[in-house]
Amino acid sequence: MSDMSGSDFYQEFEVFSKKKDTSPMQYQFSLLAPNHELALVMAKENFFRREPVADIWVVKRSDIRKLTQTEREGLKKLDKDYRETKGYGYLKKKWRQYEQEQFTEADIMGGGKS
Amino acid sequence: MRADVLFEDMTEEEKYEHFMDRIDAGEKIEADDWMPEDYRESLIRLIAMHGISEIMGALPEKEWVPKAPTLHRKLAIMAKVQDEMGHGQLLLRVAEDLMAPLGKNRENIMQDLFSGRLKFHNVFHMKAPTWGDAGIIAWLVDGAAIISQTMMLTTSYGPYGRALKRICAEEVFHAQHGESIILAMAEGNEEQRQMLQDSLNRWWTALLMFFGPKSKENTGSSHQDKNIRYKLRTKTNEELRQEFLTKYVPRIWALGLTIPDETLHFDEEEKLWKYRDPDWNEFKQIVTGNGPQSKERLELRRDSYENTRWVREALSSQKKAAI
Repeated sequence: MSDMSGSDFYQEFEVFSKKKDTSPMQYQFSLLAPNHELALVMAKENFFRREPVADIWVVKRSDIRKLTQTEREGLKKLDKDYRETKGYGYLKKKWRQYEQEQFTEADIMGGGKS
Repeated sequence: MRADVLFEDMTEEEKYEHFMDRIDAGEKIEADDWMPEDYRESLIRLIAMHGISEIMGALPEKEWVPKAPTLHRKLAIMAKVQDEMGHGQLLLRVAEDLMAPLGKNRENIMQDLFSGRLKFHNVFHMKAPTWGDAGIIAWLVDGAAIISQTMMLTTSYGPYGRALKRICAEEVFHAQHGESIILAMAEGNEEQRQMLQDSLNRWWTALLMFFGPKSKENTGSSHQDKNIRYKLRTKTNEELRQEFLTKYVPRIWALGLTIPDETLHFDEEEKLWKYRDPDWNEFKQIVTGNGPQSKERLELRRDSYENTRWVREALSSQKKAAI
């Protein structure tokens, strides 16, 4: 077979990027490259020919520990009402009994004012 | 799904049922998820063909890069050719991840292309002798591709859907690049209008063929029913072809061009376009590598692959030396 048939030439890299300095890193796609440097070149050519980009990360796929299918399906079964505001929906009615409106998220956070 | 059984403890039959439940619930399947071999094979066939078609599809337009009529057109068609190669990269990546458990990789896809086992879209076996062809390809061939690709955006296979999302975003530029070329020619002198008309005449049958036969009776095999059941696609070949005709025929006529099919009309009662059916035997001949330009394009791809072998080898040995 030819030079590329060996599994050690191309490796899979996962590409992450952020649009602006203030943006979070976002997953883009994967690519094949023989090393990190070419992976960056390929990432730029493959995914950012037009869209603006503030930073690019390439990560070797073999260095990523992903959840297995069983682990991912396990996530669906978690019921975490007690961690979320929807678990406290009854408060609105309670405060009304005291002739008070329940604070909204903006009230609690100070409405964004300092 | 049985809530009391972990996924890995399920029988094969239970895994299959669970898989179909996920598909029916609109969940997306990922590369490492359990999937029936049949689903994997359908995806590999579909996506490898799509990816290779992007790469082979860049070749007829690439022929026009040195001959584009203005510098602006040259830059735009170069950008489009690069996009098509980029689409090929994305799709081959998706196909490779599916092939990995079978011990196969990109090299196998390329070898299958060279040996004729892997087919590519009929339109990319055709000649593109004039600048009018470059316009018709970008306007109508890409227009046809947009219709079939947007239909698959909701595909059950997550990585394919994500690749298509990136691809479709760029197709808008391709479509407008094509519109710009054909409008310039349609508004040009008699010779330019005739050149555009000749291109349309050359491409019309290939465009109808692009969506594939109505049913397996036409060519002897069809995967569309299975692909619809697995939610890889949502519409039949004929539904897509009808959409294409509804979208583009009025525009072609509005430009004063003639479609080379005097039977073409919209049947108000059936709410369907009636057209002269392409010769599906000819279609079969074309996609099996016997089209007007099949051999030249495949040779070009093979030469390019061989001519760049030294780069792959150089990088490969550098890596080995570093270890």
